[in-house]
Amino acid sequence: MDIRAAGITDVGLKREGNEDSFATNDASGLYLVADGMGGHLAGEVASGIAVEMIDKSFQRWISYQPPMEELFGPPDPSLTLLGNYLSSSIRLANRVVYEMAMEYDEYHGMGTTVAALHVAPTLIVAANAGDSRIYMVRNRQIERLSKDHTIVSEQVDMGMMTPEEAETSPLKHVLTRNLGSSQDVDADVYEIEPDNGDRFVLCSDGLTDLVSEEEILMAVLEGDEPYALCKELLDIVLRRGAHDNTTVVTVWISGVEKSKDSPFKKIGLFFADWIIGMQKILKKFKP
Amino acid sequence: MARMILTFNKQVIKEYPLLKESLTIGRNEDNTVVIDNLAVSGYHARVDPAGSDFLLTDLQSTNGTFVNNEKVTSHKLQHGDKVIVGKHVLLFVSSAKGTSATEEDEKMDMDKTMMLDTAKQRELLSQQKGAPADAKTAEKVGVVSFIDSSGLGDIELTKKLTKIGKADTSEIKLSGMMMGSTAATISRRPSGYTISFTGGMAKLKVNGTVVKDTVPLKDFDTIELGSYKFQFYQKDVE
Repeated sequence: MDIRAAGITDVGLKREGNEDSFATNDASGLYLVADGMGGHLAGEVASGIAVEMIDKSFQRWISYQPPMEELFGPPDPSLTLLGNYLSSSIRLANRVVYEMAMEYDEYHGMGTTVAALHVAPTLIVAANAGDSRIYMVRNRQIERLSKDHTIVSEQVDMGMMTPEEAETSPLKHVLTRNLGSSQDVDADVYEIEPDNGDRFVLCSDGLTDLVSEEEILMAVLEGDEPYALCKELLDIVLRRGAHDNTTVVTVWISGVEKSKDSPFKKIGLFFADWIIGMQKILKKFKP
Repeated sequence: MARMILTFNKQVIKEYPLLKESLTIGRNEDNTVVIDNLAVSGYHARVDPAGSDFLLTDLQSTNGTFVNNEKVTSHKLQHGDKVIVGKHVLLFVSSAKGTSATEEDEKMDMDKTMMLDTAKQRELLSQQKGAPADAKTAEKVGVVSFIDSSGLGDIELTKKLTKIGKADTSEIKLSGMMMGSTAATISRRPSGYTISFTGGMAKLKVNGTVVKDTVPLKDFDTIELGSYKFQFYQKDVE
């Protein structure tokens, strides 16, 4: 399987500092976006630590392949081993950010969202905590592989608010889950099979606040290479005022081996080659 | 401890403790209370501690500062006063008759995204619509129920990704010469369950229609894979 990925981040036009962080690790197939919060740029510390910790622990675990019981926190039986590696890395990062926030006055109250994507030949794992998002574009359709952990989206799910009311609510950005605010946290994790031509986008809410899903879909379908896509999306945000830090990471996969070809097709091809080969040989000996 | 509660359309946005230093209100980002609204001036008003009281001063704002609908230049705040800045309302709560203090006296100088813990969430939700604050959507789990003669019965989909096929590693093992090693997968996504055809010669059909890629699953959809037939539904988790 081939992977092409790129990422971009920008402080935006209104904020003093950039509290978003991101990472792309092609070797371990791990892609991360984190949007930090906290007074006096502690958000930058929170998101930076989260990304670093998740990247490093995931990389270590896929190298050493420990069993589920040896990970950080109870294993999740609904996930594969790889899914557990990612979920556990996130749990570990949460604990680190939490402890630091508890320990140091200047980091008190800090936290961060996280959106994580692992791409492997037969498995895709998407995990998130907070309102940073993961999108998949497959067969010219866009689908969200993350759940927004915000008060308003939970109210929409419960039927207490319409999506339109959620969009304009002043509580739009109030989170119900993140890394750093409690001792333990569970990310929402999804696992699916990869498909040829899949394109993924991970982003902080700086993007989705100003760009609709339809527009993201159009840009992804029209993009001719990953970094150009990131730039294109960031440009739209900047043109529209960029009130927040904005981060976009995109991952494109190809060369996925699928057993959709029938075995008879392959046998047929083999014989066809053989027959053509035989004909060539016979031609040489034609009287 | 005295505080100002910022609200908009009767919904609480944020609380600001009134400590020993002044609190400034305006559109500019270096104010204590930043209100990003065109009806609000860059530096609109301020609240200063004065002995045991708090003094509100309008900073010659374009649209004025109102207390309980009266325009003011300078005003000594009383418990329950509603300070109107643009379209936002700041409620003044004095320390003598504070609201039910569920929060600690921490400095809440975080930017717009904040994290609420469960207790605060419930308070906020019940303030808004008077709906039961712990109404939760029931957890459901998908089940495939075999209605053919295979004898496989009901299988709960406990995994996020369920592999169906001939391979030993499949969560649901099916046999047959035409059956793919991984013939189909059922995955649980934020939007619900979906089924995808992945390989082999045995065809995947949902409600009679051949599926070559992915379709969402609804309760009581009938799925055929090769000679197997099963129904999908979701049940409440006990």
